[in-house]
Amino acid sequence: MFQYVLKRLLSTLPVLIGISLLLFFMLRMLPGDPAQVLAGQMASQEDIQSIRQQLGFDKPIFVQFGLFLSRLIRFDLGRSARTQNPVLEEIGSRLPNTVLLAVAAITLACLFGIPAGIISAVRRYTWIDYLFTSMALFGISMPVFWLGLMLVVVFSVLLKWLPAGGTGSFKHIILPSFTLAAFVVAFITRMTRASMMEALSQDYITTARSKGLKEQMVIIKHALKNALIPIITVVGLQFGLLLGGAVLTETVFAWPGMGRLIVDSILARDYPVIQGAILIFGLLYILVNLVVDLIYAYIDPRIRYDGRK
Amino acid sequence: MEKMVRFMKAFLFVLMFIVGISFMTLYPVHAQIPELKIGIGIDADTLNPQEQTTTLVQNMCDLIYDTLFYQTPDGKLEPRLATGYKASKDGLSYTITLQKGVKFSDGTPFDAKAVKLTLDRALDPKLRVPLRFAIAMIKEVKVIDDHTLQIDLKYPFAPFVPTLSLTICSPISPAAIEKYGEEVRQNPVGAGPYILKEWVKGDRIVMVRNENYYGKKPTVARLTFKIIPETATREAMLRTGQIDVCYKPLPSNVASLKADPNVTVEMPLSTRTIFMGLNYQKGVTQNKLVRQAFNYAVDKRAICSKILFDTAVPMNGPVSSILFGYHKMAHQYEYNPEKAKELLKKANFDFSKTVNMRTPQGRYLFDQQVSEAVQAYLQAIGVKTELRTYDWPTYVAGLLKPIQETELEVFLLGWGPLILDADMGLYGQFHSSTNPPKGLGAAHYNNPEYDKLMDASRLEQDPKKRLEILKKASEMVWDDCPWIWLHVEKFVIAYSKKIKGMVVTSTEKFYPTYIRME
Repeated sequence: MFQYVLKRLLSTLPVLIGISLLLFFMLRMLPGDPAQVLAGQMASQEDIQSIRQQLGFDKPIFVQFGLFLSRLIRFDLGRSARTQNPVLEEIGSRLPNTVLLAVAAITLACLFGIPAGIISAVRRYTWIDYLFTSMALFGISMPVFWLGLMLVVVFSVLLKWLPAGGTGSFKHIILPSFTLAAFVVAFITRMTRASMMEALSQDYITTARSKGLKEQMVIIKHALKNALIPIITVVGLQFGLLLGGAVLTETVFAWPGMGRLIVDSILARDYPVIQGAILIFGLLYILVNLVVDLIYAYIDPRIRYDGRK
Repeated sequence: MEKMVRFMKAFLFVLMFIVGISFMTLYPVHAQIPELKIGIGIDADTLNPQEQTTTLVQNMCDLIYDTLFYQTPDGKLEPRLATGYKASKDGLSYTITLQKGVKFSDGTPFDAKAVKLTLDRALDPKLRVPLRFAIAMIKEVKVIDDHTLQIDLKYPFAPFVPTLSLTICSPISPAAIEKYGEEVRQNPVGAGPYILKEWVKGDRIVMVRNENYYGKKPTVARLTFKIIPETATREAMLRTGQIDVCYKPLPSNVASLKADPNVTVEMPLSTRTIFMGLNYQKGVTQNKLVRQAFNYAVDKRAICSKILFDTAVPMNGPVSSILFGYHKMAHQYEYNPEKAKELLKKANFDFSKTVNMRTPQGRYLFDQQVSEAVQAYLQAIGVKTELRTYDWPTYVAGLLKPIQETELEVFLLGWGPLILDADMGLYGQFHSSTNPPKGLGAAHYNNPEYDKLMDASRLEQDPKKRLEILKKASEMVWDDCPWIWLHVEKFVIAYSKKIKGMVVTSTEKFYPTYIRME
């Protein structure tokens, strides 16, 4: 197992180098000059050129790439063109907020989505199944932006129960995590339902029932355990995506996370921050996938990564 | 018994008198406001006033650093850290006197050396100073004594003293520069009414009152700028009392905010003009008759009322009416599609040609919608158009191409002078020296007669004579129509009805320093 983890971690290196290479050159292909954006629309050409030199954007592109790689090897992602702060510091100030929101949203989504999916599968084609599947459809179809604003109107403006935005207390995370969860929960419910329906139609379920096991035991211990692999895959993928930042939710609820950092940086052509943030996002995504793979092995004893058969 | 009653009456009177007096003395203490929460849309990138281009962050810097002079909302110049000035007859040298006994918030004495250091840094080409062009006329700064400076100019520049009211000239503590170097952008130290207490990236900026401020003690003890990018959320937070001030609410919601009995909405006219640039040197818009026709074709009043919800007014001169040097033009391009068609016919306009239009998205209030409206108006007089939308960095790269390379024909842009003087508008957009790539005069207006007038206006020290020159220049450019003269934006700010005495300026700044809560 240890060897497998080590191998997977080592294999992330070429992936990350690939991401940085692609990112570096794709960003430079974008029209727009970061020095011009920083200088503002009234600046003189001399001042724009001076800023370009200070940021090192006047050097040939391959020299810039060499410098970027040499810094990357030393775990230095450079400084933000906009704020001149180290990129790691910029990311460090946002990443914990993003992780917190992602964990809260995914927890909420699992707490609702998995039971809803199970009930839908067990009581298939009944009113409760239709209710949960409709809710899932509603969750996927609703624009996050609209849902967020509606929640603000109801819970902040009308009822005055929760703050409309910002950070600082448990109350602040409720609305943004609920908004994000509403979208994720739809995927989890649908996947749980489909996966459970398939599991419940298997022969071992009939065997379990004929042994006289209680229906609850059949569902939880036999069906759910076998249906978990695709559910975990979906949860893992969604969690990985949420770690990249949820820009719309962050914007509506004034949540200072990675999504807004990346979008603001793209609009300002702040190359170092975009590169750093996407690299960190790539790394986190790979790690989440690794954790998901390890959970597979824990749930299904047939899956082994240590080479034993 | 009667004596007793009389005694009691006298006692009560004295008691009431004492209580009354105590309340009056205590009033200033009660008038102190513990915290003011201000909802803003963006985080600061740097709190070094010399690195700033964003008006909102300059506004924050003003609260931390204070400026040498201050332009009041009605354009008058008030002394701040400077107490006065004297200009030489040739307009090439200014003697500035400074406040005595002032200290920066870190205890460093404020003196002429500190101001010289600040201005020298602003002029140092090695440092990142985007608005350096605004003080490019300064040749040298000399210290005469501890509280007197002499500033020599490369060329006479009539609005020089208002220039010293710019945030870029705000004195920075020399000790802070020594201690933090360029990291002063994260550790700002000035002589202003507030001190930076906390800066949580992407979330909030907190300032506390500078107890040693040289001026009148601010009434608000703590200013919290909360970063709330979504305007609708900002407005909701204002209505629920989670914030006290909402910076730039949505124009479409201004009417409902005004109707809210708990909210005050202020919207002074700003210095920012929004226009459709028309390429003066290339393409179909080279022809003056075509440019004038386009001006008649667009209903600017409808754009202001229907798209911008009256948060803008149609331009009736080439600059905002609040600037020194503004003149309302005798002839107005009122909406007249028939006249527009007539002019196009007279100009032998080729209606088979498609005119390229460009617009940024999200840079100015409803910029894309305004451009779409202009497109519709042009199509209504038979002009074929194609409108392309760009994000700001891509857009500005296109604007800056020299005339040989530019593909610009009709494009939307905004221009907001930083001081209340028409120079930055009339010179900064229409003098041929600002044609791209040197400047952002992207209409490529090039009129030697106009250039002469604007050069003369910078040399003229007599305000009355200068006004006359600016009037002539305005009339000339207004007639030439290098722009479709669209509108002047208003600066909208909404705040709790309880707040009284908020200072809101046309340069899109606000100062809550001496507000009262009722």
